[in-house]
Amino acid sequence: MEQGRVLTFSAVPWKIESVENGNNSSRLLLDLYDREQTPLKRYLAMLGVDAETARDVVQDSFLKLHEHLLAGGDQGNLRAWLYRVVHNNARNKQTSFGARNTGRIDDLPPTASPVARDPSAEERLLEQEREQRLRLAMEKLSEAQRACLVLRTQGLKYREIAEALELSVSTVGENVQRGLERLRELV
Amino acid sequence: MRCERLNWDLLVRALDKELSPGEAVWVPAHLAECAACRQECEAIESVSLQLEAIVNRSAVVEDRADREFFAERIRQQERLKPPKQAPEKVMRRFGWGMAIAATLALGIIVAPKPRPRNVMTDSAPAEQASAAISNAIEVDGETFVALPYSNPDLPASAPRIVQMQVPLSSLADIGIALEPLANEVLNHTVLNQDRTVLADVLLGADGQPLGVHVVSWE
Repeated sequence: MEQGRVLTFSAVPWKIESVENGNNSSRLLLDLYDREQTPLKRYLAMLGVDAETARDVVQDSFLKLHEHLLAGGDQGNLRAWLYRVVHNNARNKQTSFGARNTGRIDDLPPTASPVARDPSAEERLLEQEREQRLRLAMEKLSEAQRACLVLRTQGLKYREIAEALELSVSTVGENVQRGLERLRELV
Repeated sequence: MRCERLNWDLLVRALDKELSPGEAVWVPAHLAECAACRQECEAIESVSLQLEAIVNRSAVVEDRADREFFAERIRQQERLKPPKQAPEKVMRRFGWGMAIAATLALGIIVAPKPRPRNVMTDSAPAEQASAAISNAIEVDGETFVALPYSNPDLPASAPRIVQMQVPLSSLADIGIALEPLANEVLNHTVLNQDRTVLADVLLGADGQPLGVHVVSWE
């Protein structure tokens, strides 16, 4: 009888140590989902994807990842692979990201900033204003600039961003540089 | 005053540790000694940190019911979709399939074109039969049944026509049966006796027989 594979994730994120016969790949996928769903949803939120669509996109993408792993697919850079699937799935559901979508980034509820844990009222106000300006400035960036900058905040290297967005590494560098330059001008 | 030594591209990549090995030597060295570039780098870092804070504070929905639903979908996928073969195994099998397909395709291309079995019966006039043969050779108003090894598409250069007695067995060998089909069994007996027919044989310039035209048969 053919048995399912066991996917064993190593301590290193996004690296699978071994694939053997067994039957608990779903547990490992769930562990990965628990760990990574939030950054993925944040990425989509920053692109203007609404919460409900983001939930569906992330779940569908994890199912694809499961399929990919069970089929013995390439594990070269699973993080970039997953972000690419998430990005493309979201794009398939929404023709474009950004201001026209229901979940605008400035609709997100402001939460307590770690920088402003116990500042004076004036400082808190300034911080909120700065944050608001930055959010609005983000909306003025091109889709590629925004995607590159958000992926950068999630700790992806340029090579991974390039793979996720199907761009060249130099284009990623250019988008990061121009995006930051623009944000600095606008904020 | 802005220092021109480091542009934004280098500053951002220095911050992101994305410099090339060569750049990684002189850029940090310049940053260590240039206050203007350091200040610029700090400004980029500040924007980056603010952005990171916004992204990481974005509210996302993490519903328990959603997780349960997802867990069930994963389990279902595991049950319904047994593990597929590893890509290398699939490619190996695919490679064999391609090799077999290529061999078959080559065989079809290289194999000689099957020629229609030419049947000339007692009841059918020779002219009608030869007209029905697609690979007939026409020389001086006479129609010849092309022999299997001749190429009917090539012009018969300086051909000669020689009338001779041709054994029926030879004609049978090249697919010309001079008996009604119903008498094929009998034909074998007749052929064994090595009867002959008078035929015009078309010969090529090199003496190779190209076609045959049965003139009379008793």
